[in-house]
Amino acid sequence: MKTLIYGTIIVGIVPVQSVLLPHLTLWGVKPDLGVVAVCLIGLIGGELDGLLVGVAVGWALCLFSAQDVIPGAMLKGGLGFVAGLAGRQMVYLSPLVLTSGLLVVSCLVGLVTPVVLKLNPQQDLWWAVWNVVLPQACLDAIIGGVIYWVMWSQFNIEQLMSESRM
Amino acid sequence: MWMVNLRVTSNARRVALILAVVLILGFLLLPGQLQSVFQGVGGPFGWIISWPLRAVAGIHDRIAGVWDSYVALQGFEEENRQLKRELELLKEQNVQLRESAAATERLAALLEFKKQALPTLIAAQVIGRDTGNWYKTIILDKGASDGIQPDQGVITPAGVVGRIVKTTASTAVVLLVTDPNNAIAGLIQRTRDEGIVEGTTNAQARLKYIPLLSSARPGDRVVTSGLVEGFPRGLAIGTITRIDKEEEALFQSAELTPEVDPNRVEEVLVIQSSPVPTEKERLGMPRPKP
Repeated sequence: MKTLIYGTIIVGIVPVQSVLLPHLTLWGVKPDLGVVAVCLIGLIGGELDGLLVGVAVGWALCLFSAQDVIPGAMLKGGLGFVAGLAGRQMVYLSPLVLTSGLLVVSCLVGLVTPVVLKLNPQQDLWWAVWNVVLPQACLDAIIGGVIYWVMWSQFNIEQLMSESRM
Repeated sequence: MWMVNLRVTSNARRVALILAVVLILGFLLLPGQLQSVFQGVGGPFGWIISWPLRAVAGIHDRIAGVWDSYVALQGFEEENRQLKRELELLKEQNVQLRESAAATERLAALLEFKKQALPTLIAAQVIGRDTGNWYKTIILDKGASDGIQPDQGVITPAGVVGRIVKTTASTAVVLLVTDPNNAIAGLIQRTRDEGIVEGTTNAQARLKYIPLLSSARPGDRVVTSGLVEGFPRGLAIGTITRIDKEEEALFQSAELTPEVDPNRVEEVLVIQSSPVPTEKERLGMPRPKP
């Protein structure tokens, strides 16, 4: 079941991100569902799940972007791994805390990305922060928070987490 | 409240740690090799993902089509589209005529001027946009199996759209002319001054390295110079809207409005072969005389 869910996420994230999300933009910036998905999978499924799904999601997204495959896969994989480590330390995680956490994490990933991608000098850090990082982090946090809130209110997260980590 | 089962995860944790270390080492020590492995294996992976991508794009297009045709003003929409097409064709014709006139004048003395062969074009449909926010790209429904390769030029009848940067078996990614990471050799049609057209962060383009003595002015058209692989000479790139001349600078630059609005492009043509010989062909071994 877990494999099926992960497979659906990996295969389905590209069409959603490239076809549907361009209609849901904030100042021309769309959310990165990869960041949201990998963070949630890492938190709930653990480091290994976070790492593997992160690498696969990053890889899939980069195949349909001008971005180099390796930095994208590594960033998402690393994010999933760190989310898994963080999830291990959590005793209680409310949707509000997760939303704030996603905001911070998305900002950090957004700040690292232009450095890793070696973009054109026009796209400096200041431009990146105001034009991509902050709007994207806000959208990621809102979407991640809503998804987690739905899961939190509908499912027994504690049980789900214990089961998925077995 | 969340309870974490530490007992069952120790093995998974170890495996994750080892994998993470291996990936990081691979990234640091063999970035090129790892990149080509991921890109190579990505062919079939991309082919699998291209199916839901095409399906979603198809559904999206149908919904958009229904919306545009029935919910929005039907008659005006169709008429507008037809007029736009006509305008694009006329613009392209105009550019071609200007280019032909300039070329005729300039090349009349050159008797060895050979008739340019038309490049082979592949028609493709836009099925998506970049999956991230860092690059301005579009995704096409044709890929390596259709003969599309990286560095091939992409155009519409109105002008240059961009350049292929990545392919899977059935899709291709086009880096748009408005992306700051794209560079195309350009030429001011009236003055014949050459430069490099680069995208800007505000979705426009800029012609750089124009000689200081150039008489370029707003309204001048910029076309491809044909000096690099991918684009033959004379394809419209944009129109100059502003000239920037800084004191003590070695060159001037110009801001361009691209001929093609990349946000509205739906169908494109990929230039499969260019009549302009590549650098390798130009510098190749001379043929023995008969």
